[in-house]
Amino acid sequence: MNAIEAQGLGKSYQARGYAPPTLFGAAMRRLRRQETPRFWALRGVDFEIPAGRTVGVIGPNGSGKSSLLGLAAGTITPTEGAVRTRGRISSLLELGAGFHPDLTGRENVFLNAAILGLPRDDVRRRFDAIVDFAGLREFIDMPVKHYSSGMYVRLGFAVAVEMDPDVLLIDEVLAVGDIAFQLKCLQRIREFQQKGKTLLFVSHALQTVEEFCDEAFLIHRGRLVERGPPADVIFRYIRRYMGEGGHLFTQEFGSREAEIADVKFLDAHGREATSFESGRPMHVDIRYRAARRIEKPVFGFALKTGNGFYLHGSNTQLAGWPLDAIEGEGVVRLTFDPMILLQGNFFLSLSIHSWDHAVQFHRREDWYPFSVRNPTGAPGLIHLPVRWERRPAG
Amino acid sequence: MTNPPANVSAAASADAGRLSRARRELLVNLVVREMKARYRGSVLGFLWTLLTPLFMAVIYVFFLRVLAGRGVPMEEILIGVFAWQFTVQSIHSGVNCVTGNANLVKKIFFPRSILPVSATLANLVGYALTLVVQLVLVAVLLHVHGRALSPWAVALPAVIALHTVFNLGLAMTLGAANAYFRDTQHIVNVATSAWFFVSPVMYNLDLLASFAAGRPWVMDLYLLNPLAVIITAYRALQLPGAAFPWTAWSAAGLAWPLAFAGLAAWFYRRAQRNFADVL
Repeated sequence: MNAIEAQGLGKSYQARGYAPPTLFGAAMRRLRRQETPRFWALRGVDFEIPAGRTVGVIGPNGSGKSSLLGLAAGTITPTEGAVRTRGRISSLLELGAGFHPDLTGRENVFLNAAILGLPRDDVRRRFDAIVDFAGLREFIDMPVKHYSSGMYVRLGFAVAVEMDPDVLLIDEVLAVGDIAFQLKCLQRIREFQQKGKTLLFVSHALQTVEEFCDEAFLIHRGRLVERGPPADVIFRYIRRYMGEGGHLFTQEFGSREAEIADVKFLDAHGREATSFESGRPMHVDIRYRAARRIEKPVFGFALKTGNGFYLHGSNTQLAGWPLDAIEGEGVVRLTFDPMILLQGNFFLSLSIHSWDHAVQFHRREDWYPFSVRNPTGAPGLIHLPVRWERRPAG
Repeated sequence: MTNPPANVSAAASADAGRLSRARRELLVNLVVREMKARYRGSVLGFLWTLLTPLFMAVIYVFFLRVLAGRGVPMEEILIGVFAWQFTVQSIHSGVNCVTGNANLVKKIFFPRSILPVSATLANLVGYALTLVVQLVLVAVLLHVHGRALSPWAVALPAVIALHTVFNLGLAMTLGAANAYFRDTQHIVNVATSAWFFVSPVMYNLDLLASFAAGRPWVMDLYLLNPLAVIITAYRALQLPGAAFPWTAWSAAGLAWPLAFAGLAAWFYRRAQRNFADVL
């Protein structure tokens, strides 16, 4: 039994200016015989999500993720095709939408619940649970215009999850509130999963998608280009699209007299992996192929963060590990031990060039993505070896 | 209003009874929100909805006497101004009923027809409350002149119902139009001022009849203005001796607001599909 089904789903918008639409503007366009161009935010999307599955939607900004959620929620009407949903839907597209600033928190809870379709008696029964979840007991009779943005969102989330829907749509709202509240939200999401509810959520927090989802959808330029196990889809997403339009441009160049034939990332156990644990070794096996004998080649690497920040670069020459010559095929292993990167997505660039840097045989820029997990939970980007000690005073 | 055809929710049909109750609750909640928000934060609160038409009535009586030298009885102007106020306020909240709730419309699925309906109902509640005061004032004024409220006043709810349906039609049309064309509200402001003068608010049909003598088509056309017949009907039901001018034209004036509201509902239903795109 499918909770959500889409067939040939498409949505196009009129590409308009930033100003709100006016009759005057429409008349002028008609007079000048201007055609307003349309663009497709989403097109030809087919999928079915069985009940009880959690699906994460990932993709670059403006790829059509939010349109997909809006279509599933019914707030947006499809231009072509159809989307069907079964069961009660609740959407956390915007928390606290429909709150009236002049009304108190209490009044807004009832109002918002009514908008979401929750019967008044149910709200009355669960009112205390809602207020406690939001942690706003002492502020509940205050007009919400005096709330902080965090309080606002907390109350909105508390009401929305209290609806007990069959299908929950979430659009990038888990990144709200302080860490304590975020953990509470994630806990609530897990409870939803355990109850066999269907979740569809959009997130740029790839870690969260990998952790929570049974399946990931990759949306790019309005198309559903990839679906499958989250880890695989995320990896291909980073590999293929992260650079595009962002800070990174994967590129490849060189004379190809010697080339990088194949690269394998291996974890501490020698297993191929894409995600590594901080503090443990990471091996990169570079299989090269040299068309002719090359004297004193240099293998180099560069490391960047997912945002394109250059972290470190080095090569066999600088490391004092010169190679005398290469010919035919062979493998050079690059080992990071221990991996002092703490967490996040990273890109590795690899190159083979001549001893005097005059000839670039083969260079692959930002070609190899990998991610690092942090089991300790310490914040930051890298782990620095530090020491604490007591020193005598004076 | 049903779901858009492309989004067929099985639950919607499965427990339709439960859903319609939820919608009724939503409607009540939105009406209460509108009223609470309107009167909170102002010192006199609800009193303003009484004072505004009262001041207007006094001003009209005064200036008509001073400028035109002839007047219309105070009680007729009171009835006209209170009824006019109901339509004006419905227009004002109607124009903004979709754009003012952009957040809601874009992010949450609920029957969109609830927006103009709740805006109009909130105004109806306000009107019903002021109407009590208006009835008392009219009764007192009549009593001063040795007359009494017409027993036909018991039929007022029928006119109020027609008036409300007409206002709802306006709210749906203008609310949807303003979502697509944001200058609707400016056009509406101008049109409302003009409409005021072609509606019998600060005058009555007798005054117009003297002007229209010899030009009967003026009166015929005039009665096609729904507010002209509605306000005249209010007066005919409350004031002793006043009669409703039954003609084919005035009957048409009473009937076509219903057709208009039906058309408005159809228009709104079509327009609401793309609300989220244009907000």
